[in-house]
Amino acid sequence: MASQSRRGGVSLPERRNPRSGGGGAASIISRISQSEIVSRGRQAAGDSAVVAKKLLKSTGKAAWIAGTTFLVLVVPLIIEMDREQQLNDLELQQASLLGTPPVGQK
Amino acid sequence: MAAATVKTETLSPPAEEKAVERVDYLNLPCPIPYEEIHREALMSLKPDLFEGFRFEFTKGLNPQFALSHSVSMGVTEIPSQSSETIKIPTAQYEFGANFMDPKLMLLGRVLTDGRLNARVKWDFTDNFSLKANALLTNEPHMSHGMFNFDYKGTDYRAQFQLGNGALFGANYIQSVTPHLSLGGEVFWAGQHRKSGIGYAARYNTDKMVATGQVASTGMVALSYVQKVSEKVSLASDFMYNYLSRDVTASVGYDYILRQARLRGKIDSNGCVAAYLEERLNMGLNFILSAELDHKKKDYKFGFGLTVGQ
Repeated sequence: MASQSRRGGVSLPERRNPRSGGGGAASIISRISQSEIVSRGRQAAGDSAVVAKKLLKSTGKAAWIAGTTFLVLVVPLIIEMDREQQLNDLELQQASLLGTPPVGQK
Repeated sequence: MAAATVKTETLSPPAEEKAVERVDYLNLPCPIPYEEIHREALMSLKPDLFEGFRFEFTKGLNPQFALSHSVSMGVTEIPSQSSETIKIPTAQYEFGANFMDPKLMLLGRVLTDGRLNARVKWDFTDNFSLKANALLTNEPHMSHGMFNFDYKGTDYRAQFQLGNGALFGANYIQSVTPHLSLGGEVFWAGQHRKSGIGYAARYNTDKMVATGQVASTGMVALSYVQKVSEKVSLASDFMYNYLSRDVTASVGYDYILRQARLRGKIDSNGCVAAYLEERLNMGLNFILSAELDHKKKDYKFGFGLTVGQ
């Protein structure tokens, strides 16, 4: 965008004419800015920005799917396993308190 | 000498195999009914998922007779042409009466929208039994009835089905070895002028169950259940319809703990589901159901209470 406005400024005739001596530098800059490498680089930068945006979006989506799947499938499992373990421990403790040997415990 | 030892070594495995293989083929166990060959996989992978709230109360009046009341509030889905399903909020009350006897089982259910469901299971003798199922609705052509005559032999089961709309079916399943059973079915639906044939195989040991079923309707169903331990079993199934080219595969787990039972599954359509039954107290169960369909962005959650039994 900035280069376009500059190009517009360059194309103004009354500015260009009095500075005919510095015209060489300006034309070099304009030539550089209009050269193929710069335009291709700009295009590449734009493309990579789009790709990065898409990548970020899809990563976010994947993270969302993985996260919600984890919440539904794994979190209840962990909680229930923990409860089961607590129950087992409690039973073991009671059995040892009552003095009976823990039967059926592995 | 060396040759002799080699000989004994080579000879001993067949002898051992023979000992293993010496199965009394006249005394095979009775197979599972043909309709129930996917039982274990269905139990783990197809829990009764629901959306909304559900309350069930069962009261036994005497050892044989029980009344049940059930309230469900949630949504019903109406399939539409577009990919999005239309959900309509509904609330229902269901009244049921059960009569259970070792020889005779009667079940009746009435819903507030006028649907009536009745089931009978009557064992005439040890081998012969009759099952009947009727669904009556106030919509025309939606009511149907079905009679099943079951014969249970020592190592086989045969069933004859008779339904309205001139539906006839027969199936037979036979134990071939102590672990393997093979079966087949034929059916004819007179109203739709359709007939079909199907085959099924089931291999079960005390650690795993593998089943396969093929039918001329284009359905191919395979399932595998592995019992990891007494509490844990892992299940997977694969469904393929040859005619409509639908493929679904799912994997799930089933944890049966002392205070809870938890089932979870994930399938190839991007659908994740979990079903938790937590025993809060004697005869009081708390149910949580979750289903996420990532593809359709359809999320269903439900909770419920079951009182009695």
